[in-house]
Amino acid sequence: MKKRNMKVLALLMTVTMAGTMLAGCGDSGSTSTGSSGGATASSSGTADASSDATAASSSTADASSEDTTGSDDVVGELPRNETLYFAGQQWGTVNDYNPMSANSNNAMVIAQGDASRVLVYETLYMWNPLDAKMYPLLADGDPVWNDARTEITVKIKADAKWNDGTPVTAKDVAATYHAHVDYNSSTGAEMKSYIADVVAQDDSTVVFKLTTDDSGEAVNPVLAERYLPMLYIMQENYLKTVADRNNNDAEAIKMDKMDDLVTSGPYKKYFDNDQNVVLIRDDNYWGQADSMWGKLPVPKYISHPIFKDNAAATTAFQNGDIDVAQIFITDLQKLWLEQDLPISTYVDEAPYQLCMTMPTLFFNTEVEGLDQVAVRKAIAMAVDYDQVISSAMSGQSPTFADVPRSVMNPTDAEQAMVDQDALKEYQWSNADVEGAKKLLDDAGIVDTDGDGIREYNGKNLSYKAECPTGWSDWNATLEIVAAAGKNIGINIETYFPEAANFSTDYSTGNFEITMQSGPGTSVANPYMRCRFFMSSDYNDLEVNFSGNFGHYQNDRVDEILAAIPHETDDAKLKDYYTELSKIMLEDCPCVPLMYRPQVFHEVNESVWTNYPQKDDGTNVPPMDCTDGYGVAALYNLELIDG
Amino acid sequence: MKNTIKQIFHSGKFVTGFVIFLAILLTIIIYPLVVAKDPLAMIGNGNFFKPGTYLSIQDTVNSGKTYKMNVDATASIVESKLTMDNRSMMAEWLEKYGGVDASEIDVTDAEGLIALWEEKYDPNAEQKGLIAAKKKKYQRLDNEIDGILEDVPTIIAEKNEETGELEEVQSIDSKQYINEKDVINRQNFVLGTDNFGRDVLTELISATGSSLKIGLVAGIIATVIGLFLGLLAGYLGGFVDNLILFFTNLFTVIPSFVLLILISYSVGESQRGIMMVALLIGITAWPWTTRSVRSQVISLRNRDHVNLSKLSGHSMLRIVLTDILPYVASYVVMAFILQISSGILAEAQLSMIGLGPATTKTATLGLMMQWATQYNAHLNGAWWAYFPVILVIALISFSLNLMNTGLDQVFNPQLRD
Repeated sequence: MKKRNMKVLALLMTVTMAGTMLAGCGDSGSTSTGSSGGATASSSGTADASSDATAASSSTADASSEDTTGSDDVVGELPRNETLYFAGQQWGTVNDYNPMSANSNNAMVIAQGDASRVLVYETLYMWNPLDAKMYPLLADGDPVWNDARTEITVKIKADAKWNDGTPVTAKDVAATYHAHVDYNSSTGAEMKSYIADVVAQDDSTVVFKLTTDDSGEAVNPVLAERYLPMLYIMQENYLKTVADRNNNDAEAIKMDKMDDLVTSGPYKKYFDNDQNVVLIRDDNYWGQADSMWGKLPVPKYISHPIFKDNAAATTAFQNGDIDVAQIFITDLQKLWLEQDLPISTYVDEAPYQLCMTMPTLFFNTEVEGLDQVAVRKAIAMAVDYDQVISSAMSGQSPTFADVPRSVMNPTDAEQAMVDQDALKEYQWSNADVEGAKKLLDDAGIVDTDGDGIREYNGKNLSYKAECPTGWSDWNATLEIVAAAGKNIGINIETYFPEAANFSTDYSTGNFEITMQSGPGTSVANPYMRCRFFMSSDYNDLEVNFSGNFGHYQNDRVDEILAAIPHETDDAKLKDYYTELSKIMLEDCPCVPLMYRPQVFHEVNESVWTNYPQKDDGTNVPPMDCTDGYGVAALYNLELIDG
Repeated sequence: MKNTIKQIFHSGKFVTGFVIFLAILLTIIIYPLVVAKDPLAMIGNGNFFKPGTYLSIQDTVNSGKTYKMNVDATASIVESKLTMDNRSMMAEWLEKYGGVDASEIDVTDAEGLIALWEEKYDPNAEQKGLIAAKKKKYQRLDNEIDGILEDVPTIIAEKNEETGELEEVQSIDSKQYINEKDVINRQNFVLGTDNFGRDVLTELISATGSSLKIGLVAGIIATVIGLFLGLLAGYLGGFVDNLILFFTNLFTVIPSFVLLILISYSVGESQRGIMMVALLIGITAWPWTTRSVRSQVISLRNRDHVNLSKLSGHSMLRIVLTDILPYVASYVVMAFILQISSGILAEAQLSMIGLGPATTKTATLGLMMQWATQYNAHLNGAWWAYFPVILVIALISFSLNLMNTGLDQVFNPQLRD
């Protein structure tokens, strides 16, 4: 009886396992070919195409021109040699196409930042980190400052058009500003502190009037200028449509999906679902005028399949199903050295990427023990940064021996703005455990009860270091920090909550040790980054996503940070930045742990080639062919067999 | 008793399982005595160094003792660098971009090919239609074969601190060899390193120890609780039985792993040492032991010898210990073995989702798996970071299950031959 039961059970389990395996195979099969994804995609795609018809006549034209292959399968099978596939930007489904929304989760369309993604919406200027310059996009020529540095005048290109055919005017720029400010979007809330008003002088001239203080000086010219390459320009008319259909209710407007968006960029929304986000080229794009690019971007479609995790995206990238990846890949160089795949990055040698930002450890200076400089500095000294860089970061960062730590990122442009020689005496050697122990001993912070953990005010020094779960390089980094704590008698435990909880914790000061990545490169850096590290402006905010999460307070820092925006003398600026670096190294309110690319940029040349390369003379930065001036790469792409 | 043990060791299955288990146990005990390495020391500056012995380059150069050998080293180097793939790659470039006629290229003639290559190859030439990855590959190949054929000695120079100039210290030609025993500084990674640069073998052995400890403690706790409640419920019956059975059913219905996740999460990482994790696993794994012990006891409690003891006025404790426990002992031992096995697996599962012990404080099999997955060892070809761990987990549960089946054959009358 028992034996028979066993046999039945065994049979059952075999069948179940076989079933699972089959299902597994079927699943992976469909992701690689995209056939089952295509089936669901095509229905929503056609639905979108028809709703687009009300907004723009050109989109129906596009859809019908695609119908040559068969009307049901418009989207199911994007032609491989007309599509550029991305990975690593979009996770989960798209919420909306609204630049004023707080949570669009629409990475390919809405990524307003220091180098905004300009595929669909466009900015006035594009930022190029290679030469630290702004290149005009919708704007015509460089921005012009008045002598008092209180106004910026920008001309709009005569050729610039919306994808409904109407010209982009100065009024649109003003309307964009007012929409953000009137509806109090998060962008608007911040922007109005630096820009008081935006006025259209005539159709092609727009003036940014900066917020001034009592003395008539601009509050912060640097932070005001930052919006030129950042702000997505929206159409005045379209904003009116959106306002009307939401009865002018600010909250409703910010929640509007904006599915029928009117934009000026080279690509338009094609469709999106839970498996894919696809953009299609606007063949009437104004940028093919000689005043801009002189041609259309090469790929007709931009597709971003939505993967479950990094591993899935990496596999697809290795297989050549993805062309451009923004993914952290362990031992990246093995892909071409050992696996011999047609994969490359911007630079062929370590660190392989262009590193422009610094993931930084923040100490909560309001926590007992961490309010002591000796404790913070001891932890900072004991960390094995070489190990962080070589193992946690897999070597994709210069070491601190190559580029000593300061408030600057490792680009030449920024390194020229700090006096590294003057900072030499404040640097510490890598993993200086003995030095850290001595520092603590001298400060009287010792282990008196013999449990191996030092005490301060009679309490064990025991802290939680947190970052989001699944961010493997950050998780490993904090493990190495925890190991450093163990070496010097400070108990550091790691805590990896969900990303949302992590955001709440660091933005409300509810943490002991945390990790955050600061502003990379932009027209406002290194200034923004210095604020991010140490400005006490953020200390009174209830919710603070901007920086100095540990509520560090230093009057001299605030004084310098107030002076920098008004200073135009480079030598003086260098002095300021050197002093800020010195304070950061001495007081350790935060410690840069490594350098990191602003965006990872890896390309697989199975289908497309001629991506930007270091020293190729194009001056196009490795920004995934999408961000800031990096978008210029799309105009240079070539098919490998064409 | 003696007879039983003899019987047990006659079972082939049990002995096989026992030997494997003993071998694992001995390795755990002996290895740390021989190799005094900190299993958590991050030695390698990088991810996943492949298995092998790593010699200090400086020591190799400075060791002083060299041996001359009459072996042509260049030939084998040419052989390894100029694989057939590389040769045809070179030929392809020369033909396409070097303006060389196909008939002039002979890939079997290494010297001729290299000479031609060195004459024609120019990394800055316009290589239309060549993807960047390929261009870079040609450049690397060019660097590798540069001067490969010439027998020029390698010069070791030191920087003169005063003048800042390089001064020749020694020159090494292709016939000089060194005995690896003469190199003082070396690292032997039999199973390579993991993503933190830790020695996988040392870590694995230490992790196996921790995992066994966790399994053992969890097994003991689960078995003791299960046995106690089972005996109590089975022997006393009535209200106590109903109450215990109620709680047991409650715990059986809630998946114990979910419970384990919830408790582990609320406990917090600093508290989650090996013992804590073992305790948590133990207190969530007892229900099925309770149920089966209880049903066995129920069938036992009305046997004649138990009734006899009752009539003789023996205390309940004595009856349970002398008249009931020995009859369920064999079953309990088998259950205990399975509890150890599932305890180890539970730890591995917990650590895989980041709820195990702290990474920097101990090594466990589950933690090793977790980090290998996080750093995509499986996509990377770094088999040594995860495969040995899987193998050890498999071996442990295999050996324990084998022992269990062996015991079953001896104790279970239905299965006895």
